[in-house]
Amino acid sequence: MISLTSPVKTRAHDWPAGAKLAALCVVTVVLFRVQDIWVHLAVLAGIGGIYALPGRVFLLTGLRRLRMLWPFLALIVVWHGLTGTPVQGAVIALRLVSAVAFANLVTMTTRLDDMIAVVRWLASPLRRFGVKTQALELAIALVIRFTPVLIDKGTTLTQAWRARSGRTPGWRIILPFTILAMDDADHVADALRARGGLQNVMES
Amino acid sequence: MTNPTAQIEVDALDCVIEHKPILSGVSFRTDEARLGVIGRNGSGKSTLARLMAGLITPSAGSVRVAGVDVARDRKAALGAVGILFQNPDHQIIFPTVAEELAFGLRQQGRAKDVADAEVRTTLDGFGKAHWYDASIQTLSQGQRQLVCLMAILAMRPQVLILDEPFAGLDIPTRMQLSRYLGRSQAVLVHVTHDPQDLAGYDRVLWLDQGQLRHDGPAADVLERFTQEMTRIGGGDDISDLAG
Repeated sequence: MISLTSPVKTRAHDWPAGAKLAALCVVTVVLFRVQDIWVHLAVLAGIGGIYALPGRVFLLTGLRRLRMLWPFLALIVVWHGLTGTPVQGAVIALRLVSAVAFANLVTMTTRLDDMIAVVRWLASPLRRFGVKTQALELAIALVIRFTPVLIDKGTTLTQAWRARSGRTPGWRIILPFTILAMDDADHVADALRARGGLQNVMES
Repeated sequence: MTNPTAQIEVDALDCVIEHKPILSGVSFRTDEARLGVIGRNGSGKSTLARLMAGLITPSAGSVRVAGVDVARDRKAALGAVGILFQNPDHQIIFPTVAEELAFGLRQQGRAKDVADAEVRTTLDGFGKAHWYDASIQTLSQGQRQLVCLMAILAMRPQVLILDEPFAGLDIPTRMQLSRYLGRSQAVLVHVTHDPQDLAGYDRVLWLDQGQLRHDGPAADVLERFTQEMTRIGGGDDISDLAG
């Protein structure tokens, strides 16, 4: 699932989104500067500790969301094993896990509309030049919301194919999938328009 | 029963989509609190729902809801009419309940804290204060439909259009959602193919091939409709191809 929400309410939910995103920037920059494996191990342990703070449910959800990293980690391990640079490989792998884990932490503890408010603030210079940034803000929400929906649709189509064929569908479902997605987009556009769409600028 | 100013005026309505006439010459005027629109698949009832919500512009004629030209004056339309669709996944944009409810209110120009207070009032009114932080992913289909309903009613429309909102839901879920709908202060316009959905409604319009076939008290129209549908069901008009 791309939309990361926390199963439990944490204290970090009340912290300002801008501050959390700024902290994420700083931590990521530092992670890329540091080359010492011990520092990386310490950072990862620290992040693990933060995940454990809100309790078991939060920790398990957080760990599950890191599982998607394993193909990348496997690639790094294999490559650095072949080139005979295991320490360097370990540093890169640790850095990757820490950076994604920390970013997930921010996402899980921040409401999407708070996140969008930060984007809106960052884009405010553009508005001065007459660019309408509302579409950008809404687009972020739509991508996050509809990625899992589209994955579901793709899965259903694949199953419909399998129900009548022994072969795997592969590229052949791309066209029907596109048509389904466009049909969905029409409905979503209707629902958006029914609640104001993009014509009213949200001012606060 | 409800707001006397809320009324729907549909006058000589034509709607042509891709050279195909979907609705022709539909006119009615209603002050009833509970209006049903019934018809078969392809009778044009969903198009009528979209026209009444101002989502599409008529080819000819006019639609006014609570005095607002809903297709042209979109800003005023937001307070005049809301629409609930069949699939809640088409409406819900945000990952949590509170954010979803706040969206329409922010579109209506409410400041963030005002919108948030209204979200809490709405949730409280439905006895769903504990849903505030709930993630949409974890909700059932029926619960998502209720989120959509609350999100629309939070915007306080005078008229609420329901476009087959119960399709695919089980009996207990339908009954519970109907009860929430029944409590609504808004005028309800319920578009459906199922006469059972319209039990207890004041008036029903029967749409057939894009035209108004009957218009009258619910019990009367629904009885004629059911008879006619049973008659057609005995035949084989599923064989007929369009055009």
